[in-house]
Amino acid sequence: MEEELLNIKNAAVSLILDAEDKKSLEEIKLQFLGRSGRLTFAIKEIAKVPIEKRPEIGQLANEVKKTIEETIESQELKVRSQESRKRVESIDKTVPGIKPPVGHLHPMSQVIYDVVDVFKSLGFQAADGPEIETDYYNFEALNIPKDHPARDTQQTLYLDTKGSKVTPGEVILRTQLSGMQSRVMEKIKPPVRVIVPGKVYRYEQVDASHGFEFWQLEGFLVDTNVTLTDLFGTIDYVLRKLMHEKIKIKFATTNFPFVEPGVDTYMECTVCKGKGCSFCKNSGWSEIMPAGMIHPNVLKMIGYDPQKVNGFAFCIGLSRLVTLRYHMDDLRLLTNPDLRILDQF
Amino acid sequence: MLTPLSWLKEYIDIKLPPKELGERLTEVGLGTEKITKEKDDVIFDLEITPNRPDLLSIIGVAREVAAIEGKKIIYPKNKIDITKVKPKKVLPLKIETDFKINQRFTGIIIDGIKVKESPTWLKEKLIKIGQRPINNIVDITNYVMFEFGNPLHAFDYDKIEGKIMTVHQSKDGEVFKSVDGLNYHLPKGAVVISDSKKIIDLCGIKGGFNSGTFEETKTIFIRVPVEDPVLIRRTSQALGLRSEASSIFERGVNRGGTIDALNRCVNLILEFSGGEIASEVYDLKKEEFLPWKLSLRIERLNKILGIEIPQKEVLGILENLNLSPKLIKNNIETTVPTYRNDLKIEEDLIEEVARIYGYNKFPKTMPQSGIPSMIIPYFKDYSLENKAKEIFKASGFSEIYTYSLTSEKDLKDFGFNEGHCLRVDNPISREFEYLRPTLKINLIKAIVENKSNFNKISLFELGKVYLGKNLDEKEEPYYLSGITTGKNYAQVKGIIERLFWEFGIKEDPSDSIGVIEEGIIFELNFSKLLEKANFEKIYKPLPKYPPVIEDLAIIASEKVKTGDLISEIKKQPLVSEVSLLDQFEETRTFHIVYLDKEKNLTNEEVVKIREKILSNLSEKFHAKIKE
Repeated sequence: MEEELLNIKNAAVSLILDAEDKKSLEEIKLQFLGRSGRLTFAIKEIAKVPIEKRPEIGQLANEVKKTIEETIESQELKVRSQESRKRVESIDKTVPGIKPPVGHLHPMSQVIYDVVDVFKSLGFQAADGPEIETDYYNFEALNIPKDHPARDTQQTLYLDTKGSKVTPGEVILRTQLSGMQSRVMEKIKPPVRVIVPGKVYRYEQVDASHGFEFWQLEGFLVDTNVTLTDLFGTIDYVLRKLMHEKIKIKFATTNFPFVEPGVDTYMECTVCKGKGCSFCKNSGWSEIMPAGMIHPNVLKMIGYDPQKVNGFAFCIGLSRLVTLRYHMDDLRLLTNPDLRILDQF
Repeated sequence: MLTPLSWLKEYIDIKLPPKELGERLTEVGLGTEKITKEKDDVIFDLEITPNRPDLLSIIGVAREVAAIEGKKIIYPKNKIDITKVKPKKVLPLKIETDFKINQRFTGIIIDGIKVKESPTWLKEKLIKIGQRPINNIVDITNYVMFEFGNPLHAFDYDKIEGKIMTVHQSKDGEVFKSVDGLNYHLPKGAVVISDSKKIIDLCGIKGGFNSGTFEETKTIFIRVPVEDPVLIRRTSQALGLRSEASSIFERGVNRGGTIDALNRCVNLILEFSGGEIASEVYDLKKEEFLPWKLSLRIERLNKILGIEIPQKEVLGILENLNLSPKLIKNNIETTVPTYRNDLKIEEDLIEEVARIYGYNKFPKTMPQSGIPSMIIPYFKDYSLENKAKEIFKASGFSEIYTYSLTSEKDLKDFGFNEGHCLRVDNPISREFEYLRPTLKINLIKAIVENKSNFNKISLFELGKVYLGKNLDEKEEPYYLSGITTGKNYAQVKGIIERLFWEFGIKEDPSDSIGVIEEGIIFELNFSKLLEKANFEKIYKPLPKYPPVIEDLAIIASEKVKTGDLISEIKKQPLVSEVSLLDQFEETRTFHIVYLDKEKNLTNEEVVKIREKILSNLSEKFHAKIKE
């Protein structure tokens, strides 16, 4: 009896290890463990063994059964992995993928959403204002009265006032987004943290680096204790998040009538890494983010007390940021609807 | 502003190499756009901001270098001091001026000069800064303007009729011939000088032909004025005529500097063209233009900058800027020289300290200020815009950005009345004269542009359009529009329906979609959609009882609208969903879901409903089931 059980075990194990698919394993299982299988039959025979030997034989029979079951189980795993390997091998992996017909978001949108996200993490909310703006908000509220020479740097498109009650020259296409400082802050009290992405217009002839319509982002922050170092820190943080952790930036003094002190931000040209190229007019640097501490006159006109609160404002040339980020050598590419361009983003 | 290094070195000893000097100049506010090396010199091209007319002069730039280097500048030495010279003869000249339009009028007569070519050193200097040498007198006045920043003009004394100069404002349309021979029709209010017969000078902008200095000139009157910035700017803009002088005047000339400039000019003229002083110094002025006091609180300085610069260093910076600082308790009292008329308030001094200290030496900190908790006015939720765009992107549409400005021709070609569109008065060209009332025009044009490269094109734009017949009615809502050559009407409608579903809008978009030669086009008022949007979503429990589902093929005239058939089927109470599976000629197959929320539906009940549906369809639309 003992011998018979060991024979069964050996026969089963050798058959199992030779099996190459799930089907033959099923058959082997039936052949030994099925209702009329060899082991099942042998177990029935144990009843004929003398009673004192039964426990020993019984234990052996159990061990044999366990071994067969375990061997089948492990062989099953082996067979399954072999089969899936074969399935994969039968595939031509070099076949080009069939892409779902998904479209593309414009690079400007992608940058705007990134910018809005970065500022959101700093507690800034986004605002949106009119492109058809009054001379008051666009210039006068920003400490740029009529006949101020700073108006030369922002040649203006004036709207036809025909048929309306508007005084000619008083309504324009906004040349900057800074008018939103007054529009928003007139209605609320500090603390203020706002960004305004949007389109601006200038009377300017179009070329690779100039447009009459382009995108900017204005930002401003006002509270009781705002410092120039906060402005430097914010600019540095934002540009690193938007462009690259390793970008180089430097600050310079500049003048806009609505800030004092005035700051200009230069970023090392991303295209030539500062060596000088046509992108950066061979300077190695690109002017990217003018800024400054908001001028007390602007705060006064809003109705804030500049001795109690102060703040900073900045502007990002979004169109330029997009071209710098993607190494596009012409601003006009942003308004070109050619899918060969758009499909790259 | 072209600035030769050699010229700067006449006033100050410069240690920094050109490249570093350029970087420091940029940091303190003189944007160094270009550094050009010439054979024995280096030329800096500096961008001067509108608030710093003093930097439109070489000495002005030298003063900035002095502040950077911590040195004093050496002013040019004069042989004589015109304020102390007693002229041997005095020629007659009467000056009438009006302080409202001309704050200061300084001048002197020099007799017996010889007009000739300038000496080589002078010609070379002018050429280096981009000026064309003319003759010694004109060149010297030019040279002194670039050196000191106060414009000067030499009149031929003999051509001043009646020996009188009257400063007044022009009448509209008066003709003026400039020294370079061009005629101008003056606007009303231009500040001019007339003699007893004619206009001889367009003040602050250009001298007159009839009083210019030419070869035969023997006697000159040199005028160093302080003109009114606004009046000069208006005239200069009206005429489209700018000059170095007008740039300085419209930004605000050094009102205390006329005598120094005149003194320098007279010294040079006597040296290089001969002659003698033939009048007292004329100096008609509204007031004494003296330096003014401006104070700076140390506490305020530290608060705004965010760092504490040692007091000694602050005082040193202000001293190097010639601001004569005096520390009184915690205040610094400064005296501002008249050439720095940009320094008016405390913040201006704060910038002076910060920029010379060096912006790039400042630490960087993040604002500790409060974060507003309320939604701000003019708030825009960009995530909603993105949500809409992502739906179109996922549906195969690519996004374009196009110009808001369009042409009369495009408007007309696409059936818009340009008279009802907002218009720019001074367009950069006829191509970009009107504000777009639709996004469709640019989308259609974009299809045309892509046709040669692509077969199936789907484009969309989300942007502003500008509505209203005139400015009183103007509105600028956001529109969301698209066009496709690769999808049919039902597909486009389905995408918009999906958009509406995401935004919780229960509306039929059919009327926003059009079929045109180029493909399927749609336009939605996105601002209005946002007003109606409802993003609240509430879970509905799954049905407890199984639905019965069947497809019914219905034959009906093609004229019968699918929507009408569907709403008829839906009228039955236990029909929970109806959709169109397909359509071929007169046969439409509908997918119908029957569901009873309270109990299991039996076959008999379904048969009854189906019969009711068929009899209604037959009655209303002569439709029948396909056997």
